[in-house]
Amino acid sequence: MITIDDLTKVYGSRTVVDRVSLTVNHGEVLGLLGPNGAGKSTVMRIIASAVPPTSGRVRVMSCDTVTESIKARRCIGYLPEHTPLYPDMKVESFLSFAARIKGGRKNGVKDRVRNAVIEFGLEEVRNRSIATLSRGYRQRVGLAQAMINDPPVLVLDEPTQGLDPEHAYEIKQLVKDLSGSRTIVLSSHVLSEVSQLCSRVAVLKKGRVISVDSTEELVSRHQNHTRITIRVGERLDQALKMIEAVEGVISASSSNSQVIKAETVRDRDLRPVLAERIVKSGIPLLGIAREEMSLEEVFMKLVAGEDATRA
Amino acid sequence: MRSIYLKELVQYFSSPFFFVLACVFVGVAGVFFYNAVAYANLLATQMSQYQAPGGISVSAVILRPLFMDMSLLVILLVPLISMRLYAEEKAAGTMELLFTYPVSDLKVLLGKYLAGFSVFVLILAFSGFLTALLAVATTPDWGVVLASYTGLILMGGTVLALGVFASSLTGNQTIAAAVTIGGVLVFWALGWFADTVSSGYLGAVLRELSLAGHLSRFFNGLITLKDVVFYLLFAVFFLAVTLRVLDFHRCRG
Repeated sequence: MITIDDLTKVYGSRTVVDRVSLTVNHGEVLGLLGPNGAGKSTVMRIIASAVPPTSGRVRVMSCDTVTESIKARRCIGYLPEHTPLYPDMKVESFLSFAARIKGGRKNGVKDRVRNAVIEFGLEEVRNRSIATLSRGYRQRVGLAQAMINDPPVLVLDEPTQGLDPEHAYEIKQLVKDLSGSRTIVLSSHVLSEVSQLCSRVAVLKKGRVISVDSTEELVSRHQNHTRITIRVGERLDQALKMIEAVEGVISASSSNSQVIKAETVRDRDLRPVLAERIVKSGIPLLGIAREEMSLEEVFMKLVAGEDATRA
Repeated sequence: MRSIYLKELVQYFSSPFFFVLACVFVGVAGVFFYNAVAYANLLATQMSQYQAPGGISVSAVILRPLFMDMSLLVILLVPLISMRLYAEEKAAGTMELLFTYPVSDLKVLLGKYLAGFSVFVLILAFSGFLTALLAVATTPDWGVVLASYTGLILMGGTVLALGVFASSLTGNQTIAAAVTIGGVLVFWALGWFADTVSSGYLGAVLRELSLAGHLSRFFNGLITLKDVVFYLLFAVFFLAVTLRVLDFHRCRG
């Protein structure tokens, strides 16, 4: 479990993290979202004890990351952004080093390294120098070192950054498997990934948390309209005019010769009414569906909305 | 601390750098040794020609010049050992990783320092075969040999501490080595400036701070507490300053 109270980090005259308060419960996966420079990585570094806060406090498994730093660090597996590793070390000797330095069972170092090599699919490269590894393998080694002592808390900064779809999928599967048994904080620029993996999302902007919610609640809270997509066989213009005339339709537009997208009021499902009108007028109706707002749209709205509010 | 120490040793020995450094050090020390022996031989020949009474002093003619030359080699060798200790971590971004492992900065520092120190002592030990070679032909003063090696080890440890400090300042290993060599040369030459700058209190302080001044007694076969404490305090001072630099880096992120 992680508790962040009124966390602030100032570099010179620049406030990078501004009074952030968050709680991440056991077994929960919290996603940190935000544009570049929002303070996501700094928050993660502070949680991982890499950087002390200017004010406020962070507790990991009830250990203060400043006053009980070593104890707190024992509970954390951290994967920094860009996965820094020792290029001249071999995979196995680096993992042995990580296992030894993170402590725990003395005789278990070999076992832990062997398990990590198997779990993260590193058998083929176990005796290879890290400098010669592909991006995907480097990321796996980074994750393996983070989890080598089986920590209850994982802090993963952009865990799938720069990976091809296959490797990214593997890492996502891994995080999914770990969720429930571990407390995980991760950041990503891939919003679909965050919505798949995270039970809650904290949106940061200019060092401040502007929203914390589950992805579903976040989407539903910021969705003012309902979007309905209608596919017709012919007479698109006639169908468009008809749809615009229906009470509750805010706007309608067509993107090609068959598809009409209508923004409707949120409190009513207008699909039956729209379908009935189109069918009655003899226009062939090929399909009608309601679309949820994507997390990306909510994110853009939140970030832009904050700017508008401040202005 | 042990895991950091072992990791550093693995990194030193996993590249040809260590072997190249050891070969160059021993090779150049061998040239110095040959030169000292050749000079002693010439001296002995001349003495026999002129039928001079007594023999030549192996300590004065071979050992002292050899160890004096080796001390200059140590000044160049140790910065090459220390330059990577923190600069490499900074350049690779692994400092951040290291900061998050459950080990204190002091233990990391000591692990790194001791690994560098072990590598230095190991390379220095390779030069031991030169005195062994000398022992085949003559009987060297083992007291001078032991004291000289003690002096070189202590001075090497001091230079290493300065090197670790320089390495913590930058992510560029070449700059770290250059700063160390520059710093050592300044402390080496302080004794030379002492007389020209001032003959009073300042001169005495400069003389006491000179790395070379403290070394000469070891080469005469004398191990004094004052010299040992000087080198130890010098090393502790730079290690303590390095800790402050690391703390600064941690706060700055």
